[in-house]
Amino acid sequence: MRVAGVGLLTGWGEGLAALPAHARRAAGSRSLIPLAAPPLGGERFRRATRECLFGVTAVYALLREAGLGSEAIAGGDTALIYVTAGGYGASNRAFIEAAASAGRESGGALYFPYTAPSAIPAEVTIEFGLRGPYVILIGGAAATIEALGQADRMLAEGTCARALVLAVETFAECADLYARGRWLVEWPLVEAAACALLLPGGNGMMAGPAERASPLEEAVRRRVGETLACAPLIGLALACAAGDDPWELTGQWRGRRLALRGERSPAGPRR
Amino acid sequence: MAPLRTESVVIVGAGAITPIGSDLDAFWSGLVTGSDGISLIERFPVGDLRVRRGGEIKKLSLPDGASPDGCRASGLLGAAAADLLARTSLDAAPARRAIVVGTALGGVEELERALGPDRTARRAAGAFYDSPAHALARRLDARGPVLTVSTACASGATAIGVGADLLRDDRADLVVAGGYDVLCRFVMRGFDVLRSLTRERVRPFDRRRSGLLLGEGAALVLLARETDAPHERLGRLLGHASASDGSHIAAPDPDGRGLEAAIRAAMRQAGVTAGDVDFVSAHGTATPLNDRIETGVLKRVLGARAGQIPLNSIKGGLGHTMGAAAALEAIMCLLASRHGTIPHTLGLEEPDPECDLDYVPLSPRAARPRLSLSTSAGFGGCNAALVVEGRLA
Repeated sequence: MRVAGVGLLTGWGEGLAALPAHARRAAGSRSLIPLAAPPLGGERFRRATRECLFGVTAVYALLREAGLGSEAIAGGDTALIYVTAGGYGASNRAFIEAAASAGRESGGALYFPYTAPSAIPAEVTIEFGLRGPYVILIGGAAATIEALGQADRMLAEGTCARALVLAVETFAECADLYARGRWLVEWPLVEAAACALLLPGGNGMMAGPAERASPLEEAVRRRVGETLACAPLIGLALACAAGDDPWELTGQWRGRRLALRGERSPAGPRR
Repeated sequence: MAPLRTESVVIVGAGAITPIGSDLDAFWSGLVTGSDGISLIERFPVGDLRVRRGGEIKKLSLPDGASPDGCRASGLLGAAAADLLARTSLDAAPARRAIVVGTALGGVEELERALGPDRTARRAAGAFYDSPAHALARRLDARGPVLTVSTACASGATAIGVGADLLRDDRADLVVAGGYDVLCRFVMRGFDVLRSLTRERVRPFDRRRSGLLLGEGAALVLLARETDAPHERLGRLLGHASASDGSHIAAPDPDGRGLEAAIRAAMRQAGVTAGDVDFVSAHGTATPLNDRIETGVLKRVLGARAGQIPLNSIKGGLGHTMGAAAALEAIMCLLASRHGTIPHTLGLEEPDPECDLDYVPLSPRAARPRLSLSTSAGFGGCNAALVVEGRLA
């Protein structure tokens, strides 16, 4: 597959240019770097959660990065693969706590659908008119490596003409829970949303086990912080910006590390 | 766009736990005898809810070493896995065993507990939706890929499809795939305020249908490549596909465009046409909207044969088991082939003029479908379809 572009928002700002050289130093005493709510308005987004807005905004950032209009991804030939480890946590917590504090109707019919992990990609499909193959994976960076592998498979088989791999992670509303489960995450926690547009071409890729972190994984952790499922997509953006060829992405979650290797050149045998 | 036809994958065996039976045999017996698994919910408080019934599993035998106050979702998955292992074996190296499970709710009940008095790290970590899948991987010593799919109520179908892709990519030699979900206060309250739950009987495709009831369960299949599969098997997965509606956050697309796209793509991948389909396991939630839309989609896809192909919904007796639903329904298709019986649509008594296909009402039908289509849909415009071929006895 070929990478047409990566749209990126992090708690540090939009795009790679906003990233510090060293996330921990830049964070200082802060354990969490939040992402400001994007300025998306209108009636349709009135009830959308913060994390839904991040998903939509990441796709707009991608389109700007790739120099494309929305019509370039609309329709049934674009696959969407969404990944998150905990992007549903805020809405789930809000729904539970609203009920506990104010009775059964609180946080009710208008908000319950937003507790599903599928709410974030749903807002993306509605906004951009996506009607193609649709997969949602739950997990950290290793799940995103799997998602990129799935996208490559779909492109190679002709199941889609292009694929979006989208990841969104928010932490602010559940920071106390992440503090309890700190063996799963590193610090600082940096809220992020990232979306890659992938096209057919290049060598076939296959996710597989990895012994150690790739230089790209280490660079993302050093420069950005903990972004869970977003990390491999940020790594892909770094690889594209640096002109890496070939590149190797790795991602770890729950003690399992996966790798995906790719080339920028379009020539080469398909698997 | 016409995707390539891909290698079929063998469904070696299955295991399940449901409100109508605690293993695969009991599940099948319950379907053909018309067991009703809907009852008053007893496991958590429902006194403040408008609807207090659902497909609750009253007795859950916990796997060895499991804590009684542990994660119920993991308990359900463990029970389904124990049933699967009683029928098949995992003859592959641990590094070549994969887990792919679908869920709409994951460990959300653990989040409820983590926000309550239980402030332990274990409870907080259990709130991630992928925790039960990793617990299952530890239980089965599966050290290959471990994936959780969450395409709402289409999750089980998508998970089986993703599992098949892992085999085709040679990422694993055996894949345990399926779905699960727990009936908990979180989801009962959510659907209660949505007014999607009926106070009456669940009546898929019936003129009087007034909504769904929720259920819980888990269903797993063991997938293998043809070359690695044992002679004894349930059938084959010929095709799978998914598609988004791009229409509404909670309601289905009024024309069922996503569902139609998923069905057509799954049939293309399987290399089959409407003339090859012997049976359809419908999503059939018994909401006024879903059943009418789904009927329309099936008429368009199956054309002139639509009225001749038997189809059913098993949600009348189970409730909507969310992440488990599609996996249970795919297994039901394979068991129908094995036993030569199509379970009836429990609750369907009065035909709806807008739902005018052959929904197998009132009693099971003696028929032995070879090729079945199973359809699923969920919140967020998630749609999925499977094409399975049963092994004829």
